[in-house]
Amino acid sequence: MITIPYLTAVSTYFSYGLLFAFGQLRDYSRLLFDWWRTNNLQGYAPICLAHEDFYIRRLYHRIQDCFGRPISSAPDAWVDVVERVSNDNNKTLKRTTKTSRCLNLGSYNYLGFGSFDEYCTPRVIESLKKFSASTCSSRVDAGTTSVHAELEECVAKYVGQPAAIVCGMGYATNSAIIPVLIGKGGLIISDSLNHTSIVNGARGSGATIRVFQHNTPSHLEKVLKEQIAEGQPRTHRPWKKIIVVVEGIYSMEGEICHLPEIVSICKKYKAYVYLDEAHSIGAIGKTGRGVCELLGVDTADIDIMMGTFTKSFGSCGGYIAGSKDLIQYLKHHCPAHLYATSISTPSAQQIISAIQVILGEDGSNRGAQKLARIRENSNFFRAELQKMGFEVLGDNDSPVMPIMLYNPAKIPAFSRECLRENLAVVVVGFPATPLLLARARICISASHSREDLIKALQVISKAGDLTGIKYFPAAPKKQDEEKNGIKLD
Amino acid sequence: MYVRALPTTDVNRNTEWFTYPGVWTTYILILFFSWLLVLSVFHCSPGIAWTIVHLAHFTVTYHSFHWKKGTPFGDDQGIYNRLTWWEQIDNGKQLTRNRKFLTVVPVVLYLIASHTTDYQHPMLFLNTLAVFVMVVAKFPHMHKVRIFGINGDQ
Repeated sequence: MITIPYLTAVSTYFSYGLLFAFGQLRDYSRLLFDWWRTNNLQGYAPICLAHEDFYIRRLYHRIQDCFGRPISSAPDAWVDVVERVSNDNNKTLKRTTKTSRCLNLGSYNYLGFGSFDEYCTPRVIESLKKFSASTCSSRVDAGTTSVHAELEECVAKYVGQPAAIVCGMGYATNSAIIPVLIGKGGLIISDSLNHTSIVNGARGSGATIRVFQHNTPSHLEKVLKEQIAEGQPRTHRPWKKIIVVVEGIYSMEGEICHLPEIVSICKKYKAYVYLDEAHSIGAIGKTGRGVCELLGVDTADIDIMMGTFTKSFGSCGGYIAGSKDLIQYLKHHCPAHLYATSISTPSAQQIISAIQVILGEDGSNRGAQKLARIRENSNFFRAELQKMGFEVLGDNDSPVMPIMLYNPAKIPAFSRECLRENLAVVVVGFPATPLLLARARICISASHSREDLIKALQVISKAGDLTGIKYFPAAPKKQDEEKNGIKLD
Repeated sequence: MYVRALPTTDVNRNTEWFTYPGVWTTYILILFFSWLLVLSVFHCSPGIAWTIVHLAHFTVTYHSFHWKKGTPFGDDQGIYNRLTWWEQIDNGKQLTRNRKFLTVVPVVLYLIASHTTDYQHPMLFLNTLAVFVMVVAKFPHMHKVRIFGINGDQ
């Protein structure tokens, strides 16, 4: 639930209307100019349709320097951001040799495995020397090493399911697995704010897709009832299979899924639950086992658990965990397993070592410390931001916190102001978010120290004052006299 | 002062912005301010200004709602490439609140324009033609209809 000041909503629509109008004007003048000038590409079809490209050319390119910034060091708590210059008004950007050391609030480095780690990195380097960087083969040919087998067992045990299958790319895990699980005659009910990989996988499967209102179990029940009653479109036969797809933490909202209610509704109507834990595995829960542990849901109730290793484990790739039959079926039918190159062996070793650190199997309690630190950091940061008057989304304990910006001009203003003060933030606008709801998304890491966070808060407060995004009244400063009074007793 | 924005179930990013609060007010305010702009630029009578606003509104909205097809970004892989914006909103469902509002606005503009010009001739003819085309284009029966193949696909 997002609360917008009415004037901000009206001014945002007006700004986008203006940008759109100017974009169209420029397109028309470009059309006239090109019609007058002869074209040496007679008879060739255009590479991309002019109208499809409109948003990228006329809106995105104007503020291109706020996105896709290259970095030249590991994405730790502090990162080297390469400076870029543009000679033609942001149409093209050239890298310079200068870098600036910035506080990194944009990487999904939840547990701090994004840079050198004293337990993981030596093991990864050893595995690199022993197995080399790539297996150069798919899993079924010659791409399964002992490390891969160990990884799948390790992941299955960690997540709490009987078996798991690992894929080399997180996005491909969703888009290659969903078409294997369901086809024409099936129904996929997905949350309205699901990630593009799930949307692509669902569209590629050929099943009918229905959407339910974000994180609203009552609307899910309504949609399920309607669809089961109506059956397949046109023939009205019963559905072959119904899969409900939800995510653990939604990456653009920072909200945690209402899993217990959704699981009970799915059990009632006999639908399968597919849980995408890309952002929640390793980041929430007492031992980092994700949203099931946090909300107390039995993992046996979830039919398919999916996750990625890019966020909390500092590696690459994704996994699917489920029953032994399911994983056996996937190993025989999933194209990502049969034809795609397997995950590189040092990356697999990084995941195994990271899981060992998290569970404390490396002999120290660094894992528990990291989990406690990320929880403390997230709650502290969110509370402070809300006290300053920012509109911050997301539930408590979630390390993802979007700060609402709304107006399109505030997107580059906030981003550039923060970069000037050596703070690297990620800003997101349309079409990744709804038109009205542009935001700056902060990702807290366990490797951020308290001083880092305080500095970040100061910079964000200053940038927030300059851009006018403190939409809520700031909380009054606490009076310390009462505390001293109690101490004197 | 504050409004609550519930997330919608519309997956089409080209049309879901129309379901959030504040759109109707912005639309009406833009029309009003463009009337003031026309009055100050052309120094004409209020009636002529409303006629100009009405005809400009007709041109802009006919082009963007009923002529341009598809979406301005490529992420949706072209599944809406045969549908105009009018056919895309509310997932193709007819007679929703948004559609009713968008049908009423040109009619109200027509009434204001013809009233303030005292129903005099060249303006009345042009205004009537514009509103006729606009309202017919928005009928539920015209969903996905291409008359004589105009604006049809190749």
